[in-house]
Amino acid sequence: MNFLWETFDKNEISILILMTIAYAFFFVLPFKFKREITWLLMMLGFTIGVFFDFTIGGGLIDFFTLNDTNNYELFDFCYYLIFAPFSYFFIYFYDMFNIHKKTFIFYILLWVIVGVSMQWAFTKLGIVEFQNGYKIPFSFAVFLTTQTFTALYFELIQSRYRVLKKS
Amino acid sequence: MAFTVFFVCAWLIVSIFTIIPKRLTIIENSFIFLTTSVISINWTWIINEELKYVKITEDPTNYAGFLFFRSVIIPTLLMVQLNIYSASSSTMKKGLVIAASVLCLLLLTILSRVLEVSTYKDWSLVFDVVYYVFLHFISIGVWRLIRKSTHNEVKHS
Repeated sequence: MNFLWETFDKNEISILILMTIAYAFFFVLPFKFKREITWLLMMLGFTIGVFFDFTIGGGLIDFFTLNDTNNYELFDFCYYLIFAPFSYFFIYFYDMFNIHKKTFIFYILLWVIVGVSMQWAFTKLGIVEFQNGYKIPFSFAVFLTTQTFTALYFELIQSRYRVLKKS
Repeated sequence: MAFTVFFVCAWLIVSIFTIIPKRLTIIENSFIFLTTSVISINWTWIINEELKYVKITEDPTNYAGFLFFRSVIIPTLLMVQLNIYSASSSTMKKGLVIAASVLCLLLLTILSRVLEVSTYKDWSLVFDVVYYVFLHFISIGVWRLIRKSTHNEVKHS
């Protein structure tokens, strides 16, 4: 059992590049939310990634393998870390474009397409490998659930708190 | 059977969380739920799937019971515990709250073994108790960290 990586090749390099781009973008964007809201959104994205991957991507269901193997490796953890800034970006632009009742569905669908496209790209890069009959269209259900939940959760937080930093 | 038992337990703990007076803010509660979920999921994976110290059932309905325990019951119980803990005035009461919460998790773990959801290979109930106590202290630590961070921000603004 190797906790670092099976073989250091295309998928590990892709994850490093994706992480660098995502976190660079995170730091380049002006911080608009209060610190705890930023951390909460990052933590939410990370947890959703971990939750879905360990629930449908492992154990008895086991719909996909990550990074060449079913074992837990360092780059699996790095892969989940990519979900954190994307959850933040999702809400960042949700707030920036002032998404409301009439644009909610379109915004969610747009991000679902982004999410499914990224997952398709992950399969091409060898990061994710589907098995046990899982097909990419099934990911629409996953992303529809996660993006809708994230947006509604943000609405709940926003209704109770001042989420933006004082300008 | 295990599915029904753990589903009812999950429903019960979520209901208890809904009705108790909240001493923590929704942000603090969310952080506790998310952090303890991540730890619980990673811990069970490493112990069960990587190190193979515990074998989890291959029966689909009982496995669903295990998922409820891991991903719903444990994090929600920790939120409930922390809301009651923060309302307790004395150290004695705080200790009792932690002890009662650990005991609940211990009983559910025993139930999980009785219902054959989990089978110990190279593991002991004592290790689970140590893990649950550790998880409680982590949740308290996370809560204090978030509260301190939020208060600092208020002071500075």
